[in-house]
Amino acid sequence: MRRAIAAIASAVTLGLAAAGVAAQSQQLTEIKISYQPALYWALPFYVAEEKGWYAELGLKPAFSTFPAGVPQIAASASKSWDVGGAGSVPATLGAVRYSLLTIGITNDESYGNALLATAKTADGFVKNPASIKGQTIVLTANSTGDYAVQSCLTKWGIRKSDVTIKSMGQAEIISAMSSGNADLGGLWAPNTYTMEEKTGAKQICSGQDAGAAVPGALMARAEYAKEQPQNVAKFLAVYLRAWKWLNAHQPEAIAMMKKFYEQGGVTISEASMKKEFTTRPTYDLAQQLKIMNRPAGGASEVDGWFTKIGAFMQANGTFPESPAAYKFITDEYMKMVDADPKLKAFANRAD
Amino acid sequence: MTRSHERRPVWGGVVTFVVLAVAWYMLTTLTNTIGSGRFSSPAETWDALRQIAFAGYADARLAEHILHSVKLVLLGFAAAAIVGVPLGLAMGASRGFEAFLNPTFLLIRPIPPLAWIPLAIVWLGLGDAAKVLIIWFAAFVPAVINSYSGVRSIEPYLIEAARMLGVPRAMLMREVLIPGALPMIFTGLRLSLQACWTTLVAGELIGAIAGLGHVLYQASLDIFPAMIVVGMGSVAVTAAVMTVGLSWIERRAIPWRQA
Amino acid sequence: MTAFAITRELSWQRRFVLSVAGIAAFFGVWWAAAASGLVAPQFLPTPLAVLEKFVALTQTTFVGYTLQQHLASSFGRFALGFGLAAAIGVPLGLLMGWFRGLDAIVSPLFDALRFVAPIAWVPFAALWFGTGIGGPVLVIFSGSFPPCVINAYRGARYVEPRFVEAAQTLGASHWRIITEVLLPASVPSIVAGLRVSAGLGWQSLVGAELIVASSGIGYLLVRGQANISTAIVMSGMIAIGIVGFAIDALLRRMERYISRRRGL
Repeated sequence: MRRAIAAIASAVTLGLAAAGVAAQSQQLTEIKISYQPALYWALPFYVAEEKGWYAELGLKPAFSTFPAGVPQIAASASKSWDVGGAGSVPATLGAVRYSLLTIGITNDESYGNALLATAKTADGFVKNPASIKGQTIVLTANSTGDYAVQSCLTKWGIRKSDVTIKSMGQAEIISAMSSGNADLGGLWAPNTYTMEEKTGAKQICSGQDAGAAVPGALMARAEYAKEQPQNVAKFLAVYLRAWKWLNAHQPEAIAMMKKFYEQGGVTISEASMKKEFTTRPTYDLAQQLKIMNRPAGGASEVDGWFTKIGAFMQANGTFPESPAAYKFITDEYMKMVDADPKLKAFANRAD
Repeated sequence: MTRSHERRPVWGGVVTFVVLAVAWYMLTTLTNTIGSGRFSSPAETWDALRQIAFAGYADARLAEHILHSVKLVLLGFAAAAIVGVPLGLAMGASRGFEAFLNPTFLLIRPIPPLAWIPLAIVWLGLGDAAKVLIIWFAAFVPAVINSYSGVRSIEPYLIEAARMLGVPRAMLMREVLIPGALPMIFTGLRLSLQACWTTLVAGELIGAIAGLGHVLYQASLDIFPAMIVVGMGSVAVTAAVMTVGLSWIERRAIPWRQA
Repeated sequence: MTAFAITRELSWQRRFVLSVAGIAAFFGVWWAAAASGLVAPQFLPTPLAVLEKFVALTQTTFVGYTLQQHLASSFGRFALGFGLAAAIGVPLGLLMGWFRGLDAIVSPLFDALRFVAPIAWVPFAALWFGTGIGGPVLVIFSGSFPPCVINAYRGARYVEPRFVEAAQTLGASHWRIITEVLLPASVPSIVAGLRVSAGLGWQSLVGAELIVASSGIGYLLVRGQANISTAIVMSGMIAIGIVGFAIDALLRRMERYISRRRGL
């Protein structure tokens, strides 16, 4: 009897020890990731979490979402998040205010940031862009939408002083335009699709039309990146893999997008969702390295994009001096992914 | 029942502000306990003040911003007073009227002014009307409540006496009710004015091109703590000045209500 | 303070009929405005359409949660902000009422901050607290705090002097005077202050939830707006109104109970 008890006791102890060891080896490092809901470039975060890819690399993400880029950037001041994604305009603001690093590009959303006109007035403006002079344009200041609209104005030779610009949130812009209280508005996708589908508004000029590249940025807090470079690299690897998968599995991707968008309160047609994929190019590891590569002390393609954005924000009066691109944009962590064969293979998986 | 403003030792206010100013300076500039990203230092705030006063910020200079906001506050305040005070008086004077209107009043009252913004935009557009509507929602509530209480608090024998003398209704209102309720009406107006200023920021979220609320909004988009502080300070000072003005009017209107 | 009516008290039947008539008139005007086409139907839905949407929101989720769940989220934030305001504000007000020096120091600060709208604290809330519950709580606290302090202060300041004198001649310490004389005497004023404070705190909620993006009734309102769904916006407003009214009714009942117990 006593031997039986001893046997059981030791078995239980061994079992517990084994479980303890197993738990230890499975211990995941926490990483705080921030993004905004119902946006195309945030989809990979959702998908990766659903598929358990963070855990595969030993990461346990704690997500926080923000209604817009500005509060997201502000929250980094209290170390509420370590890494995340946002538009290039807020990312630049973050670089100036809180030394946020831009470590990669989420997507090229030049098509997705645009000036829209209501159904009644769109044709008139398209035929004669000069008639925009003297009009009121509603947009969200310090955003990629702001940048796209002002780039469009420049393209048409219209000065900022020729129009009245009123700043408000995207939801307010939608209210104003849909009720006929504003004819022109700067919006970003999927709000552009909401307006098109529900009110017949038309996109009359996007960042792409104006020749302005509007990238989305992957960011990391400078302090965190210095302390945990490995985690930053892993974070990038997961993001890259998610895009690979999304681009290779369109039908499932659309289904997941629908769920993700619904969570953020956006319901647009499947056609519009597909359009997001076709009009907004994303970059895999090799492409990221290419556009971020600085030839012999010169500027990379990404540098050029962000320099223009910085100049735009400076002209807006957001800060007195626009930041030098090489100071906050770094491909160091992308290079880390490339240098590590395991991470590189992981990032290039499309399954 | 309100009492007159008692005289507090002036030294109190001075001491507080000196202590705070010193602490502010020490925490931000000297020791950098509060980093400049989280709150502005005195020097930064001073710079921001100079910028907005002379060079301009958010499309206008400080004086223009103040003027715009004062205009909106006056419009909202006037609308609240014109609608709220008679309504409150009527509800106080007639139980029937009160029973009829009270349920609607109770329904509308708890809805925050900010929540009216979506409807204000689609009904009234992006002009001053929408902004004034938001301000009005906050300001008319204290006006109604206090006017109502004012009537209800009139000494019964005054009304009985007037009734006995066969005073007609209109005269009763003019000579007895309104003067009797005036002290509380002014309390309500003071609260209304305060509500106007606190709701101004929300109101100016609707397509403002100038105004202190607009400054605060733009400063928050720029993540510019120093300018936010300047904006808050400007609101406090302007509001305080207007409140003093209201008190002056009150003293003229109710000379019998002294210290 | 005497409460005397110009007209006589109404019988409860008349009162009931008039109240019902008032509500009916309100909905009548609403329905008429909606049906008349004065405003496009998508911007002024009929009362029935809003009711349908309201019910639908309690059964199916919108932006992740049902209406009740959003309300619960919001209420949690409100409770924390209001609770903190009361826990700090009431004692502070009592102390200020008793120690003139403290009053002289704190009051000017109060007068200065009185006009700063809770929503103006939103940028700082994001800066200082980021994603935590601290952000919304700060905004709600800034709205709830002043009435708690002011009413506790007034209650303590205007206590009948003879009570205080009696306690002093009996040699009571500061602490005992505050807790055993000032506090009980100030209860009516404090409770009135709590009512106003709760109302302001609940109202600040929508502003507070501008920095939050995952749940809450304010969040539901903004998402409804972005979806061009006025019915959702109005459902949100109604939900806020109902809960705000319920909170106020509860506190009013407490106020009446307390004054009855004290024989007032």
